[in-house]
Amino acid sequence: MEQVLKTTQLSKYFYQKKALDKVDLSIEKGKIYGILGPNGGGKSTFLKIAAGLLKPSQGEIAIDNKEPGVYTKSIVSYLPETNYLYKWMKIKDALNFFKDLYTDFDVKRARKSLKFMELEEEEKVTSLSKGMMGRLKLTLALSRKAKLYLLDEPLNGIDPISREKIITSILDSYSEKASILICSHLIYYIEKLLDYVFFLSEGRIILSGNAEDLRNKRGMSIDKLFQEVF
Amino acid sequence: MMTLLKYEIYRRWIWLVLRYAALIVIGAILLNRVSSPAYQYEFIGESIGKFALTSLVIFIIIIVEGINMLKEDLFEECGYLTFTIPKKGRTILASKLVLLLLQLILWTVITIGFGSIFFSKLPYHEMVQIETQTNFYFFPTVLFILTAFFNFVLMIHFSLTLTKTLLVNKKYSGLLSIGIFFFLVYLIEKVYYGPFLNQIKHISIEIGSRSNIDLLSGGYTAVFLNLILIAIFFTATAYLLEKKINI
Repeated sequence: MEQVLKTTQLSKYFYQKKALDKVDLSIEKGKIYGILGPNGGGKSTFLKIAAGLLKPSQGEIAIDNKEPGVYTKSIVSYLPETNYLYKWMKIKDALNFFKDLYTDFDVKRARKSLKFMELEEEEKVTSLSKGMMGRLKLTLALSRKAKLYLLDEPLNGIDPISREKIITSILDSYSEKASILICSHLIYYIEKLLDYVFFLSEGRIILSGNAEDLRNKRGMSIDKLFQEVF
Repeated sequence: MMTLLKYEIYRRWIWLVLRYAALIVIGAILLNRVSSPAYQYEFIGESIGKFALTSLVIFIIIIVEGINMLKEDLFEECGYLTFTIPKKGRTILASKLVLLLLQLILWTVITIGFGSIFFSKLPYHEMVQIETQTNFYFFPTVLFILTAFFNFVLMIHFSLTLTKTLLVNKKYSGLLSIGIFFFLVYLIEKVYYGPFLNQIKHISIEIGSRSNIDLLSGGYTAVFLNLILIAIFFTATAYLLEKKINI
């Protein structure tokens, strides 16, 4: 199976604190992966390195066999946890920005998704609630025909109705040509999406495996397993 | 680069229009006053002063905005958007600097335009007196000021970029980058400009021409030196933004 992302002994330090400690993992094409762990476990740091926003302190990371850079940014769609859109933007401006700067951005898909997410193009991004912002960010990220989607806490602070919409949207965007990597500590809601899971704690992978195999082997859901492990 | 430039202009177009409109309107009002037949010559200086002050305020706004254009992306959440688009560091940086350059050119044209008209309103003998008393090379001086401030902004960009790249895991990275900025200013003044200018001055005196050699009064040599610095800081900052960013 083709590997989209591979890390070897990947470490990241912030001053003396280890955010990631010798992480080895690989992501295959056409699957949905979950990096699960408590807050401060290193999940977001991992995604930021893959997105090209942070440099590793040690070890290596390759996306489509390349170091994070201009090329990998063209094939990776990153959804950060924060409100990263420019404050001056209306939703339609954000759509135009993505259309102009990402050649793989599908405007038709984005407009369809906006309708599904009940968002109006004329709304200013600063006037959106947290749930609406979450839905907009997901629309933008998933409307790209990327090889790898990196979704950082897509459900954090999101109301139950928005959660359902977001999960449906992720499922709709699934393609055998792309891989999705979701970081979350809200396992209950995303469990049904995941093919493979990594449990990350204090920067280290303490458990990993095929989601179905883990469920069968341990006789419990991934959510229960998460609670047991942490 | 043009796409990014388009968005740099788009996100601040109202402020761009407002600041130049303010400069033109204030200039026009003052000019209208000095053009009145009842207006006394001795008050022309006052109008020139008011216009110069307005122009200076707009200039400071342009420079501060030029600095903030990159600072916002480095220190605020919108940087997650800017630095995940598939563009090279030099493209991202150039889009901001081209806007700064366009703004400086527009400011210069408006300021010189109004300045010339105000100057023409002075009594003939005063015009002659000013022209004969000042040893002032106009175009080299204007170019020198523009390139010097452009380089000043770029040096601040470089220092800010250091805090989010090479100095990111260092304690007091902010203070360190400020220290590096002042050290660079010192180094450029003493080591870079110093020997070059002394040498050039010496050669120029030998060949009997003292025109455009004095740094403080402008001079194409100083402009050339500024352009070299701009190229160096642009390359270094663009490299750091592309290869070493940690936000």
